Amino acid sequence: MSKFVWAWIWFALLLALDIAIPWFILTRVEKVNGAFLFWTVWVVAAIISAFIIFLKWREMER
Amino acid sequence: MSATFWVWFGIAVYIAVGLGIALIARRQLGVGVSEFFLANRKVGGFVSALTYSATTYSAFMMVGLAGLTYMGGVGALGFELTYLCGMFMMVFFLPRFWLVGRKYGYISPMELLSDRYQSRWVGATAAILALVFLVPYMAVQFIGVGYLMNSISQGTIPVVGGMVIAALCTIAWSNIAGMRSVAWTDAFQALIMIATSAVVLGVVINALGGFGDFFSKLESATPGLLTVPTAKGVFSINMFIGLSLPWLFFLISNPQVSQRLFIPKSVTAMKQMLGGFLIFGFIYTLISVLWGFSATLLVPGLENADLATPNLLALPIIPTGLAIVVMIGITAAAISTIDSILLTLSSVWARDIHKGLINHKVSEKGELRVGQWVIPIMAIIAFVFAWWAAGKTGLNFMIAPLSSAASAGLLMAVPTIFGAFFWKRGTALGAMVSMIAGAIIVLVFQVTGWKPLGWWPGVWGFIICVILFVGISLATKPPREKAEEFMDYLQKKLKEGKFI
Repeated sequence: MSKFVWAWIWFALLLALDIAIPWFILTRVEKVNGAFLFWTVWVVAAIISAFIIFLKWREMER
Repeated sequence: MSATFWVWFGIAVYIAVGLGIALIARRQLGVGVSEFFLANRKVGGFVSALTYSATTYSAFMMVGLAGLTYMGGVGALGFELTYLCGMFMMVFFLPRFWLVGRKYGYISPMELLSDRYQSRWVGATAAILALVFLVPYMAVQFIGVGYLMNSISQGTIPVVGGMVIAALCTIAWSNIAGMRSVAWTDAFQALIMIATSAVVLGVVINALGGFGDFFSKLESATPGLLTVPTAKGVFSINMFIGLSLPWLFFLISNPQVSQRLFIPKSVTAMKQMLGGFLIFGFIYTLISVLWGFSATLLVPGLENADLATPNLLALPIIPTGLAIVVMIGITAAAISTIDSILLTLSSVWARDIHKGLINHKVSEKGELRVGQWVIPIMAIIAFVFAWWAAGKTGLNFMIAPLSSAASAGLLMAVPTIFGAFFWKRGTALGAMVSMIAGAIIVLVFQVTGWKPLGWWPGVWGFIICVILFVGISLATKPPREKAEEFMDYLQKKLKEGKFI
């Protein structure tokens, strides 16, 4: 599969976790290290993966 | 001297500096619509990142998101971070918008749609969608500024007075030098926004005993706020999806931000823009949510959650000077969003409606003149809406849900935008019908408060919009020649720049 497809699959996985973890796994954890920590780490993963992709972009001729 | 004096003084300094920056920007203003609306596509990475940040983040954050956190707890963090996660899609859309913008000379995202689908009506439909749904979004910015100035000045500046100040600044800054003055003042304002909010959060956390004590107080004093749904049942999955879905596609559905994908001067500037924004967004989101949480500890029991920030700033632990500086920071956030929207709407009206439908032969000068007239007219319309909505209470009139409702309408352009880049079978009729039908559904459901199966208006609108776009496109004839030329060009260039 191409990088394009892999990137969309990764994004879909992130969105699935966005719902699944806070509502089904951490729903009773009334601590900062519950949904609060999850969403913080989760978005850092999304940001890092975006950096990994766009740092490879190359300057183009005008 | 009284607090009121210092409030006026702070506002005067802010306006003077902003005006100075806008006037300096005017010295570099060239001629033509590309220059006025896009700064001739020659904006550096640093300013691009800051104007993108200031346009995206508004009074919504430190007032609306803080209010939503106050009422709905940690779900508000998930909601806003879902938007930031959606920015991952920039790795697909940023280079595509940028490349075709340069190749075909598009001024607005709607012009891109008109050209790609070979129908001026597609761009005009998307333009009308933006003109309708961005009004409430601008209005919430006015409301945020009004609440804040009223509270910090201890009532001496009426809510409507704050809104008037915001309206005048936005009209001036977007008219003085178009994108150049907006981008430069945005950059100045973005720095104020993040610096002031970080400082005031530091003061409040310190007053609560530092981060350790703050978090343990949060866990014990407000049980249920750290889970979804909360103890009071706020942030059910339906509410979360209803709020987050329009936000997830904000980067392409909101033309004031997607138009910014045309402006970086190089690939390096694009990378700096995206990287800078992601870092800014992450920090600013955490600050706004922690700010809302600290309000639950320090000013509990408020009936209107949108007043959490003004009430927090009025506490004796916040020195008056700092409260005024923060007020300026939030005002900057609001104004930088409104002026960007006004500028985009003026370009959309001038290019996609006036030139596209009314007068095809209009000169560049005439187009610009029309665009400049649209700026004050749209500002007045948004101001009147804000005046009306400011007196209302309830979830639908809170800043965050109202903002998300506005984006729910704009969400209806998303299938058409995806189709433009990724689906050669997409047709103009499919695009138009899906946008119009989706927008009507969103408006009707929003106004009547109807939520079949508990799903929010944007969700219903989006599902029907996708079905209509795909179904009608398959049943009609696509502009195959243009689609192939457009996508073949992109394929070639994407490979060349190592984009995916």
